[in-house]
Amino acid sequence: MGLLCSKNHPYNEADAEENAQAAEIERRIEQERKAEKHIQKLLLLGAGESGKSTIFKQIKLLFQTGFDEEELKSYISVIHANIYQTIKILYDGSKEFAQNEADSSKYVLSSENEVIGEKLSEIGSRLDCPCLNRELAQEIETLWKDSAIQETYARGNELQVPDCTQYFMENLQRLSDANYIPSKEDVLYARVRTTGVVEIQFSPVGENKKSGEVYRLFDVGGQRNERRKWIHLFEGVTAVIFCAAISEYDQTLFEDEQKNRMVETKELFDWVLKQPCFEKTSFMLFLNKFDIFEKKVLKVPLNVCEWLKDYQPVSTGKQETEHAYEFVKKKFEELYFQSSAPDRVDRVFKIYRTTALDQKLVKKTFKLVDESLRRRNLFEAGLL
Amino acid sequence: MASCAVRGGCPSDYVVVSIAIFSMISLIVRSTFSFLIHKVPSAKGSAFWIPVIQVIASFNFLLSIVMALNFLKYKKSYWWLSCYVWAVWFEGPLGFGLLISCRITQAFQLYYVFVKRRLPPIRSHMFLPLILLPWVAGAAFIHEKKPLNYRCHLGSHWIIPVVSLHTLYVAVLMGFTGAIRHIEFRFDELRDLWQGILVSASLIGVWVSAYILNEIHDDILWLQVVSRFMLLLTASILVLVFFSISISQPLLSQISLRKREPLELKTMGQALGIPDSGLLLQREEAVDVDPNEPLDKLLLNKRFRQSFMAFADSCLAGESVHFFDEVHELGKIPIDDPVRRIYMARHIINKYIIAGAAMEVNISHRIRQGILTTTDLTHPDLFTNALNELIQLMKMNLAKDYWSSMYFIKFKEEARTRRCGQEMEEMTGYDFSPRLSSVHASDDPFHQDHFSRGFTQDIHASSYTH
Repeated sequence: MGLLCSKNHPYNEADAEENAQAAEIERRIEQERKAEKHIQKLLLLGAGESGKSTIFKQIKLLFQTGFDEEELKSYISVIHANIYQTIKILYDGSKEFAQNEADSSKYVLSSENEVIGEKLSEIGSRLDCPCLNRELAQEIETLWKDSAIQETYARGNELQVPDCTQYFMENLQRLSDANYIPSKEDVLYARVRTTGVVEIQFSPVGENKKSGEVYRLFDVGGQRNERRKWIHLFEGVTAVIFCAAISEYDQTLFEDEQKNRMVETKELFDWVLKQPCFEKTSFMLFLNKFDIFEKKVLKVPLNVCEWLKDYQPVSTGKQETEHAYEFVKKKFEELYFQSSAPDRVDRVFKIYRTTALDQKLVKKTFKLVDESLRRRNLFEAGLL
Repeated sequence: MASCAVRGGCPSDYVVVSIAIFSMISLIVRSTFSFLIHKVPSAKGSAFWIPVIQVIASFNFLLSIVMALNFLKYKKSYWWLSCYVWAVWFEGPLGFGLLISCRITQAFQLYYVFVKRRLPPIRSHMFLPLILLPWVAGAAFIHEKKPLNYRCHLGSHWIIPVVSLHTLYVAVLMGFTGAIRHIEFRFDELRDLWQGILVSASLIGVWVSAYILNEIHDDILWLQVVSRFMLLLTASILVLVFFSISISQPLLSQISLRKREPLELKTMGQALGIPDSGLLLQREEAVDVDPNEPLDKLLLNKRFRQSFMAFADSCLAGESVHFFDEVHELGKIPIDDPVRRIYMARHIINKYIIAGAAMEVNISHRIRQGILTTTDLTHPDLFTNALNELIQLMKMNLAKDYWSSMYFIKFKEEARTRRCGQEMEEMTGYDFSPRLSSVHASDDPFHQDHFSRGFTQDIHASSYTH
């Protein structure tokens, strides 16, 4: 017994220290719990490629410290990968069209360009793509300017051509420079399919002011397999920012080329609205990719999408664009009121026209969102 | 004696009916036990429905024999006691026919996967009704013509086509089983099929002889009693022996119902006997991990892979890493062992590739279709395209955040302490992940432990779902 007692002696100090540590951790956890209550949870939901991660990046740029040089440089490989993948999709697409189409001659490349195409296609399928240098950029540009590739690009909606194609192809010279550092715009255009969940915490009035709202924003993947993970985030959400890319009415899903993207977005929005956890949640619908929409709607009629098949064009130019946009907006409004049970219709529902790449517009839009949420908070607290 | 032979109620009848009831109860108990012990599989997929349909068909079959052959004394005035309902519909399309058709469906699936090495063109929930159609047609025809006599026996003209239909189906089952007899199955599938064929063939033998004896020697009452006794007895044995879960749930059959050997087989890799599957061996070297190396090379190291997998699971992006792991396991199976490769490939497809799968991965439509419509399940490059796409996904989403996460720091610590041979310090405090703030070791709103356990449970549920 005595032996045990004397053995215990050196541990007493360690014990006391451990207790102090444990108490400190407890205090910190308690502090965090209190702080958590004031944090407003925002979710970015939407189908694949609807612009959620771009909005996420914009929020990071606007309200956090932005991207430092290290982070900007980390996007170089992403941008180069995007370029290789895009040109590969276009080249493989042109081969497919050349085989299957009636007037296949317009999809046939010249023989030198075919050689370039094969080489680039092989590079694009590799796991580790080489860094984009002047020579490769030149070859890509040559291939891009080939009429067959341009014809294929015109039918890009049948392939899975990303929206950043035009932008990157036009800037190839700059992007292939040896000392290239991506600009903020380049980073926003870069396409990365999100998997899993990412979050940031920010305050719209800036980090140093204590009195502002604190938001925690969650970004998720939009493809079908990613959606089963959303359920883990649905508890205690202040607002859902639902991104719908309105320019995708003539495209099919990445994960299911039999399904129209607009119809999928409609069904997904319907599903989200009916979730039991979102009884009191505010819904901010971002009708995104307006810049692509306004150009496309003049060339491709809205009624190629079965959900929008009762659309009647009225005029041309800007008027037509506005009319088409109002039609789509009305469709979403109708959908909202159809899908919301009578007891939920009074939750906050706002629609915003956005172009996620436009920083000023996103800043303005978010200010409106923030105002709307503040007003709702005051209302909930009975002060309004 | 005379009355009981005609109207039912002989002592032997009661004995054999109780044997039938006992057999039915033990069948139900056995099937429920298997489902319960191995955690109820999800209600979709043939892995669940085919055994359930078998149990129901067995019940119908026994009931039809009892009702049709005058085992029990009762008033026969109601329509639902009518001979046609029991002896024709319940015995044929809903009983014996359904039983054999279930087995034929399973044999057909096995044939397609292991001999033709592709995924079956017709899903089992469409195949089963399809092959049941001749039974339904036959039963409807007999119902029309009404050839049964007052004692529920068919005329001798009718017995021949009826028995040939029964024998035909057993012959088809034998045909499919014969086609796969040379395959070395891992999970007793073949043995179960032969067993089923043997018993069903002997049942038909007993039935035919009983019937012939009945008809020829109408007056020999003891023969009637004996023959119907034998018939119900053989049927009871048939339904018990015929039932087996192993064809639908290969992993389950590895775990003994009596729990004599509590083998914890968590992964398909372990069940197939792939070396070092799922184990973290001591002799795995603590390689110094260099963040500049390409991710796919780093992931080949098991310890790094486990650490990265834990990180990915915390960000709800774990399925890509699990997929990498299992495809890596598949790569360990030699090319000249097609059977095991097929088991593993099929398991991977059911778990990761099929739309709506438990751990479905984020791949494009083309790549998914390429895998599902492959003409060779044993091809070594079956999953290469999917793997490349997912490694790209992991690189762009997870790699950067992993290097600054607590998981990597823990990994380095472990490697260091293992090298120094000291005991590992307890890591107190909370896990930090740059992606998600709510990843805490003690307070985990995403129920991380529950999550990873759920994945292993899903192995049982989703194997062989179709």
